[in-house]
Amino acid sequence: MIEPFVDRSVAERILISIAAILLSIAVGFAIVLVSGRIAECSTAAWTMPVTGLGFCYDPFEVYVVLFNGALGYPFAVGEPGIFNPSWTPFNLSLGLTLSETTLLIFTGLSVAVAFRAGLFNIGTQGQLVVGALATALTVLALAPLLPAGPISGVVIVAVGTLAGAVGGGLWGAIPGALKAYADANEVITTIMLNFVAANVAYVLVLEVFRAEGSSVVATRYVPEYAQFSPWLFPDSSDFALLALLVGVGAIGGLYYLVEHTPFGYDLRTSGVQAAAAEYGGVNAKLTTVRAMTLSGALGGVGGAVWVLMSEGRWIESVPDLGFDGITVSILAGNNPLGVLPAAFLFGILKGGALEIGFRTDVPTELVGVLRGLIILFVAMPEFFRMAGRYAGLGSDGPGGPGTTGNDDGSEGADDGTDTKGTAGDGTGSAAAVDGGELDA
Amino acid sequence: MNPAVHLDGITKRFPGVVANDDVDLAIERGSVHALLGENGAGKTTLMNVLYGLYRPTEGTVVVDGEPRSFASPRDAIDAGIGMIHQHFMLVDPMTVWENVVLGNEPRTWGGLRVDEEAAREAVVELSERYGFDVDPDATIADVSVGEQQRVEILKALYRGAEVLIMDEPTAVLTPQEVEELYGVFEELTDQGKTIIFISHKLGEALSAADEITVLRNGVNVGTVASGDVTREELAEMMVGREVLMEPATTPQEPGDRVLGVTDLRVEDDRGVEAVSGISFELRAGEVLGIAGVDGNGQSQLVEAITGMRKPTSGSIEYLGESMAGATRREHIDRGMAFVPEDRHEKGLVMSYDLVQNGILGSQHDPPFASGGRIDWNASTEHAESVIEAYDVRPPNPDADAESFSGGNQQKFIVGREFERNPDLVVATHPTRGVDIGSTEFLHERLLELRAEGKAILLVSSKLDEVQGLSDRLAVIHEGEFSGVVDPATVTEEEIGLLMAGETLADETVSGAAIHDSVDDGLGGGGADGGDGGAGSDRETAADGGVDA
Repeated sequence: MIEPFVDRSVAERILISIAAILLSIAVGFAIVLVSGRIAECSTAAWTMPVTGLGFCYDPFEVYVVLFNGALGYPFAVGEPGIFNPSWTPFNLSLGLTLSETTLLIFTGLSVAVAFRAGLFNIGTQGQLVVGALATALTVLALAPLLPAGPISGVVIVAVGTLAGAVGGGLWGAIPGALKAYADANEVITTIMLNFVAANVAYVLVLEVFRAEGSSVVATRYVPEYAQFSPWLFPDSSDFALLALLVGVGAIGGLYYLVEHTPFGYDLRTSGVQAAAAEYGGVNAKLTTVRAMTLSGALGGVGGAVWVLMSEGRWIESVPDLGFDGITVSILAGNNPLGVLPAAFLFGILKGGALEIGFRTDVPTELVGVLRGLIILFVAMPEFFRMAGRYAGLGSDGPGGPGTTGNDDGSEGADDGTDTKGTAGDGTGSAAAVDGGELDA
Repeated sequence: MNPAVHLDGITKRFPGVVANDDVDLAIERGSVHALLGENGAGKTTLMNVLYGLYRPTEGTVVVDGEPRSFASPRDAIDAGIGMIHQHFMLVDPMTVWENVVLGNEPRTWGGLRVDEEAAREAVVELSERYGFDVDPDATIADVSVGEQQRVEILKALYRGAEVLIMDEPTAVLTPQEVEELYGVFEELTDQGKTIIFISHKLGEALSAADEITVLRNGVNVGTVASGDVTREELAEMMVGREVLMEPATTPQEPGDRVLGVTDLRVEDDRGVEAVSGISFELRAGEVLGIAGVDGNGQSQLVEAITGMRKPTSGSIEYLGESMAGATRREHIDRGMAFVPEDRHEKGLVMSYDLVQNGILGSQHDPPFASGGRIDWNASTEHAESVIEAYDVRPPNPDADAESFSGGNQQKFIVGREFERNPDLVVATHPTRGVDIGSTEFLHERLLELRAEGKAILLVSSKLDEVQGLSDRLAVIHEGEFSGVVDPATVTEEEIGLLMAGETLADETVSGAAIHDSVDDGLGGGGADGGDGGAGSDRETAADGGVDA
């Protein structure tokens, strides 16, 4: 019943994701070739067999470097398929990949939990900014009070992360309360609060908390021992295994909360069918505030990790982790468990892009196109479901609503529209299922 | 002459299920044919085969003497078969004529532009030919459900349908609209069209059809002429055993007061007063029925009592305590069960399976919630027990609610609420869409709850249901009780008058209500209910009468 991994739709989703990546590679392949033909270079990086046409960029190399490089070359460079004996998982490239993954886990979860409650939280970015500042200021204030050393470090990191959660949570609670009690659309309020967060934090740091002599608008660095320790990975990778473990723990915890607790039940029910939730005794207003607070807190922890793992301080150039979190969450189907692979995919694309810029002549803009393509294709599962149906891969008969939707679809083509029919209770679907599934 | 449609030995198998088993069916041209059966008897599957939505596993579809094989509804439409689903597939913001021609628009400018003049003209001509009363320029969102149905019929006719399949056409209609639909049937068959309609209501089949075919468990039990068969015989054909048409209620002395409503006023969503000063009492072991034409404040009254809606004034006392300001959660926790009117919106979460739906409302209470987590094993057992006791088909707790037919969804909701161990049961249309076999069971169960000393507030548009089950019957009109009567002695005519807002000359009828302090609002509703109202009441009565 609630076993997601035996669920047909989850298996389907994984299959679709793989197909999407393959298709995006095929399309990207062509784009690399075409741009390699247009660009000018002294020697061709790749020559097409038979035709003898030369291309400036080698599409094979691009994708090999993208994935191989993102993992720190587990396969030998130039000889894909052969394991690189000197490879260790604790390398710089994989560290960069996992660093991005870790940060996106938190922002992805932040967006996902709001989504599950039927709320579109565009404000994770702002919640991250506020959480990050709260963390930086708390740690900077707390550090001088404790003796320097690893034990203090643990305490400071824990308190700093908590401060990020509280800061982000409170910032998230604002649009939640506005939605619940003032009927304000959360999409608009969260977008606006992003600007407020970014600019207030900027001014605060500029005027009050700016490090002396700093050329950028940033706080002082927090002490080394008060950051997530990189442990096995190189310092320059800005990655800490512990932070990733915290992220994975957050995934498990949030999954449990959403799927297996009464609060999660209320939250999900509000998200899918608000009227039924109210009928079932769910306090809609309170659930909205709670969900937004939780969402904000997760964004805030993302900010805390960004400060304590990546930057070591609050700095004005906050990356768009909150916005990427929206894509991560949608790729994950708003399922906390799906956030891990989705965030990892983003991490690979980030780490791999750096490698491509470093190893090949392919311009970074083109790498951006390839990244965009992969995300684009992964984000359109319905396209692959349709393709699967045409190829006859879909199950036949009364397998479930999906199949019925198919029937309705063909019918809807004649009727012009079948929005009503597929809305769930339409006879179009209900009747078709009635015929199939219920005539036991 | 060939029959309009001949289904020859149709078998449709789905994995693990035989939905239709060797069904033979011949439908005469120009006749109205009812396909009657319980929820899940295979009626819709059979019609989906005819409409090309499913391919038959075995057997042939013969249209007009010609064997056909439909790959899609498009083929069926080309062969002159049109289907009108229970829930309409119309585009709300578009006009009637736009909807009718949608997908088959006459074109000009080499196909680039819709010939609006010609399209509108065609629709006007079509609706005049069949005497349909529809405004071609009205927007779908603004017209009544009955008109929307006629637009669907026009759409099928526009595409050249000779045979019209209608899936439970009366389910969404008011009694007056049902009568109008029967008129449309006549008009269509007069002009040589053939109509097949799916139904599980006996009375509907008897009054509207020329011939009735009964399906049971996917098998054709028999085709009879509607003039040669009685309701009882039809019911037995459908269910496969004799059916008790009247619930057997036994006299019982009511116990303590459970619910006291005093001068309650409630507004609807638009801020218009829907309940205008209703007072009544309900005691343990008593069933209070509320009859009335839909939309006279029943929904708002029930929502106020169950904590879904705040009354504007008046008080509700439940088990000796005021419920003012209590949340919906508190209403549930204090033992109020509520079968809501709208099962798709409120009663069930359509994308949840039955295990999850089974705990809706109890998600914070033991045994389903313990130690901050939901006990899915207990929840599964609960869902299974409701499914078994209330005969929900298919008996699969892991299937999503939306995959069940309406009748089975309803059985599950009623089961969940009845088995909550409540002190008060508020049931709105508890048997709507439920077939007669299961209706009989739900009625028995309701009377068992009454015998156990539960207080029951029963709102239903089926007159025989409220009349047969209630100890007292309140009739609601424009937000007020126009009378509280003894269901055992009141006549349908008298109820009809009350439903229209008239008062009864002989006030002794309300003698049954002496033991409470009902302000029955006599005269308050005004005597201007109009004939329309009275007429509709009789149809409600007729509808109700034939329904169970």
